[in-house]
Amino acid sequence: MYYNKRPQVNFTALARVVGVLLLIEALFMLIPLVTCIIYGENDYKAFAITIGITALTGALMRFSISPSNPEMGKREGFLLTALTWVVFSIFGMIPFLIGDPKMSISDAFFETMSGFTTTGASVMTSIGHFSKGIHIWRCLMQWIGGMGIILFTLAVIPMLNHSGGMQMFNAEVTGITRDKLRPRISQTAKGLWLIYVILTAVLCVLLWLGPMNLFESVCHAFSTMSTGGFSTQDASIGAWNSAYVKIVITAFMFLGGVNFALLFKASTGQIGELWKNEVFRTYVYIIGVMMILFAITIIANNQVHSWESLTIDPLFQIVSVLTSTGLIVGNFENWGGFVVALMFLLMFFGASAGSTSGGAKIDRMIFLVKNIRNEVYRCLHPNAICSVRVNGKVLPADVVNKVIAFLCIYVILVVIGGLILTAIGIPLVDAFFSAFSCIGNTGLGAGVTGYGGSYDIIPDVGKWVLSLLMLMGRLELFTVLLLFSRTFWKK
Amino acid sequence: MKIVIAGAGEVGSHLAKLLSFENQDIVLVDKDASKLANIDANYNLMTYVGRPTSFQTLREAGVETCDLFIAVTPYETTNVVACSMAKQIGAGKTVARIDNYEFMNNENREYFRTIGVDSLIYPEFLAAQEIITALKRPWVRHWFELSNGEILLVGVKMRELSKLIGLQLKELAALQPTFHISAIKRRHNTIIPRGDDYIKLNDILYFTTTRNHVDDLLEICGKTNYDVNKVMIMGGSRIAIRTVDLADNDYKFKIIEQNLDMCQVLAEHCPDCDIVHADARDIDVLREEGLDECDAFIALTESSETNILACIMAKEFGVAKTIAEVENLQLISEAEGLNIGTTINKKLLASSTIFQLLLDADSSTSKCHSLTDAEVAELEARPGSKITRGAVKDLNLSREMTIAGLVRDGEGMLVTGNTVIQPGDHVVVFCLAGSLHKVEKLFY
Repeated sequence: MYYNKRPQVNFTALARVVGVLLLIEALFMLIPLVTCIIYGENDYKAFAITIGITALTGALMRFSISPSNPEMGKREGFLLTALTWVVFSIFGMIPFLIGDPKMSISDAFFETMSGFTTTGASVMTSIGHFSKGIHIWRCLMQWIGGMGIILFTLAVIPMLNHSGGMQMFNAEVTGITRDKLRPRISQTAKGLWLIYVILTAVLCVLLWLGPMNLFESVCHAFSTMSTGGFSTQDASIGAWNSAYVKIVITAFMFLGGVNFALLFKASTGQIGELWKNEVFRTYVYIIGVMMILFAITIIANNQVHSWESLTIDPLFQIVSVLTSTGLIVGNFENWGGFVVALMFLLMFFGASAGSTSGGAKIDRMIFLVKNIRNEVYRCLHPNAICSVRVNGKVLPADVVNKVIAFLCIYVILVVIGGLILTAIGIPLVDAFFSAFSCIGNTGLGAGVTGYGGSYDIIPDVGKWVLSLLMLMGRLELFTVLLLFSRTFWKK
Repeated sequence: MKIVIAGAGEVGSHLAKLLSFENQDIVLVDKDASKLANIDANYNLMTYVGRPTSFQTLREAGVETCDLFIAVTPYETTNVVACSMAKQIGAGKTVARIDNYEFMNNENREYFRTIGVDSLIYPEFLAAQEIITALKRPWVRHWFELSNGEILLVGVKMRELSKLIGLQLKELAALQPTFHISAIKRRHNTIIPRGDDYIKLNDILYFTTTRNHVDDLLEICGKTNYDVNKVMIMGGSRIAIRTVDLADNDYKFKIIEQNLDMCQVLAEHCPDCDIVHADARDIDVLREEGLDECDAFIALTESSETNILACIMAKEFGVAKTIAEVENLQLISEAEGLNIGTTINKKLLASSTIFQLLLDADSSTSKCHSLTDAEVAELEARPGSKITRGAVKDLNLSREMTIAGLVRDGEGMLVTGNTVIQPGDHVVVFCLAGSLHKVEKLFY
């Protein structure tokens, strides 16, 4: 079995797995289809056609391709993970093309990729009039993408439960070191999804108890738990103008930014584990410090209108940006330029690794800061042995190197993305803000700097660039970058 | 089944990979993070960094709820202590790897049971047993006795003289042979043959036969049996000492060892053997020591490559039987291709023991033997189990397994498509790697 010749990249075996994944996507699409039928909307045709196309393609790939060698190695694992996200977006955008929104391909792809990567950036200037099917599909995409398509597959079907599946798990789950909850990868995936589903269900019920109706609470539960940020209203969460909704959503965005492995441990009765965790503590501290800075700025800008505008609103905004949800409170643009600068910082940070949030992740920031401290110390004590210690464990030098490489590449990609956007005529600040927002999967509109309301004004080239940035950000750079390297394709 | 393995050395890692492939829940514990990193990233199992003899480590690795705890660190004291601790906090069964013949004595077993060590693995001892079996029957590659020797599994390499070459299995079945061909090892793959498969030159055939008919195989395979008397051993390892001890003066041993201190130890332990202090890779030395008069040559140095090459050299001198210790699994097939009579591998021997333990979760009737990519197991058919529900050919058995034979009322017999297995029969099953857990289900 070790000696069979295998092609450089085993495309046939890959295509077969993609076929199965497409069948799963078709199953998910039944939800918007049923929604359309229940509410008697015309978009059911669009969804029925999409399901037909997706299921047919999936079934064809699954049943007509028989690979001579089903083995999948590292290369296939990485390629499959990246490819899955692209393929899901390609099929997921069909309802936007043929349904009511009648978008162009660039717009639809951007919107879908933004959905699956939980970015939440939208090209739709007004969404209120679209069918409920379209709304729930946008939110559902975020929900699937939040925890991960591959992770879902690992949890429900045993076919990937081999070493190839391990590669894909590594390629998709965010973070520096992967915490396995249980010995087998499928059990780990099941555990993570279980927590995710339970949290979503609780959030949905809580929202429903408030001013939202059932449909709206389901949609918002999907997009909040995945820290995506799509809404069903043009005015987003502001439409309800309810402190209750803001508080509930803030709480669950916060949970969405915690490492799910940690939540799993906490749910098994070890609540103390949460506060013992250095990353979790830092996460809370960051929110605290930002809260003070925001409050000062708001007071300085004379924007205190009620108790909410000094408590809930800034907290909501901080958590929303830090966890890369990207929801906005109404009067936020009046808070001044300093807040926008702070938002850059928050978007860069992101929340904990192993959560549904985007950004560079707090874990890496802790590494970076501790490593810098060591380097400074070493200027005076050149022979000192310094180690980076997180949660009481010393991390090997190669992990630290990888983290620093990650952060450098992250910044370089933002710069490249920003440069391309400025080259096609977008103002400097907006260009960099958009690139930052997309790679961090935050999805805050370029509108915050006063340039425009949504991403629809960005030229098509820019949309494709931003889509790529979103995918890179979601899969944490290396998985996608690897595909552009020569070593990957070279014999 | 939940299994915790302490010690990620060669044996530990091999077991972890193998059992993970068998769909068991594996947690691998070692104090050295660098040993675990690669396994953690590439295999479907969990790893935990910590000392195996720490209650905290054991608890966090989930020993409290595990069904089997296997301690295979290089140190037997660590293993025994770890097992004892694991048992104390709730492990189901415990197995320790040991390195002391005394421990295997039956009168001492009770002591180990009282301190919480249920089973012992002693790979060096098992290896010595294999070597003795191979010396007794130099014409076979594998010799495995089941049910007190009522059923035999014999692996034989097909040479030009064999009468079977070129035959289709269907044709062979028409002759009503006194054996059953359970598996064929062809180059690097083991296959479970079907009626339309042909037997080819250089295949290793695994025959199942009964005690009375085993001599038929000699003739049909074109082999001749011969007695081994003079044996040369290269490398005075622990296996060598165990082998000499076990052989009980049936053979005349000559041990060639490079290390002078080791030679002294050997001289003390093996008084009836000739001990030579020399480099066995030196042809002149071998000639001087009379390699051409030896009936068997056993290479047991630490290096698998050296062992293989030395055996090839011995073959050229005309030694009929060569045995090499090959610790690298991938090299085993290569060694078999190079006409090295028998290969010894500690990892496979250890995994045989572990599989046996997995199989008899609630009885002690099972036996298991691991080959490079297949397992042979003896299982008892339970009343009402799937395997007893009809003739073998109607059961739709998986293509990854074959029923090689059975023992009914203490008597071995072969199985054909029409045989109906009865509850209480001991059935010998040959299955490819990774399918044992599926096969097991058929019997419960």
